[in-house]
Amino acid sequence: MLNDITIGQYIPGDSPVHRADPRVKIILTLVFMVSIFFIESYPGFFMYLLFTCVIIVTSDLPFRYTLKGLKPIMFIVIFTALINILTTQGTYVFEWGFIHISREGIDAAVKLSLRLVLLVMGASLLTLTTTPISLTDGIEKLMAPLKIIKVPVHEIAMMMSIALRFIPTLLDETDKIIKAQSSRGADFDTGNIIEKAKSFIPVLIPLFISAFRRADELAVAMEARCYRGGVGRTRMKQLKLGKVDFAVSAVMILFTTLVLLLG
Amino acid sequence: MKRMLTTRFIVQAALIASIYTVLTLVFAPLSFDLIQVRVSEGLTVLPYFTPAAIPGLFAGCIISNFIAGNGLIDVIFGSLATLVAAFFSRKMPKRWLVPLPPVIINAIVVGLILNYILKVPFLAAFGFVALGQSIACYGLGYVLMLVLEKIKTRIF
Repeated sequence: MLNDITIGQYIPGDSPVHRADPRVKIILTLVFMVSIFFIESYPGFFMYLLFTCVIIVTSDLPFRYTLKGLKPIMFIVIFTALINILTTQGTYVFEWGFIHISREGIDAAVKLSLRLVLLVMGASLLTLTTTPISLTDGIEKLMAPLKIIKVPVHEIAMMMSIALRFIPTLLDETDKIIKAQSSRGADFDTGNIIEKAKSFIPVLIPLFISAFRRADELAVAMEARCYRGGVGRTRMKQLKLGKVDFAVSAVMILFTTLVLLLG
Repeated sequence: MKRMLTTRFIVQAALIASIYTVLTLVFAPLSFDLIQVRVSEGLTVLPYFTPAAIPGLFAGCIISNFIAGNGLIDVIFGSLATLVAAFFSRKMPKRWLVPLPPVIINAIVVGLILNYILKVPFLAAFGFVALGQSIACYGLGYVLMLVLEKIKTRIF
């Protein structure tokens, strides 16, 4: 049952988008997502969709994968589009009983859906082209200035890397526990919603015990290798800005200014 | 702060984050709908047992929201809500109050997010989220807490 879960969604590749520095990609993704909220006109939306497609093509990603990320939000998109269509007032183009559909409603619904789709595609482009480890590296570097106000940046990054490292392991473990408990007669599918929630307890307790045992072993192993926090620690892979990063940033800045000028 | 951040603390927080993410993924069918019952939100009772759960739940929520692909607003504010809730859960004086902060704070914050992005009426969004969270935090979380109470010396 757990085979169809893709974690981190990273698709390896050697495109300029893949090679760009994670710090640059994170910042550009943020710029992209913020600017989506400033587009108001259809030419603007069209340009953004086109631009997203161009990025997908240049990074050699199969379209199928990028569209897969949209599946979980489809329900929400359709639901809110319907609410907007039915509740917005204005010049009605269709009336039947208590149902009124206005031109403004359709307009709002289409724009809202486009915005949501673009937001999700932007985020998934980042995770599709960046390994989780280099993502946390990038976040650690970007948050480094926060060290001045005593935010434990290194510790947070270390925690994230360990968490990401253990997700596949614990997924496997959960699968085994569910099978083991089912073979003992555990039932996860019947009963009302509260009974269903309670039925997860026999899965959670073994999962906790094993996860915390792993935590203990890992902590001992790290301390045995003299881990003592971020001070003076060196890295195997240094992040460096290169030509690709400047090129990617230039394209993005140029494009965003252009679209924002268009409105 | 320095003494609290031992290796064991970091590793425990990381594993709690992993468990949170795994539960969100495995029980995804219950997770992403209008009335969200995120099974993983049952873990919000963990701050009662260990302070490592506060950053742990925060990180778990960030990773899960990233994977869920609900966009950056969800990643930032949804996770911050979990962080604040976990902090208050730790401070709760009575055991039955521990699952309360994640219900209230998430309902307010996520309610506002839904209201802002999807233009759903705030009270409706608040109600849906509060209902889902109550099922996860009391239906599952509180029971989990009672069971963990018996074996806590062996785990934490």
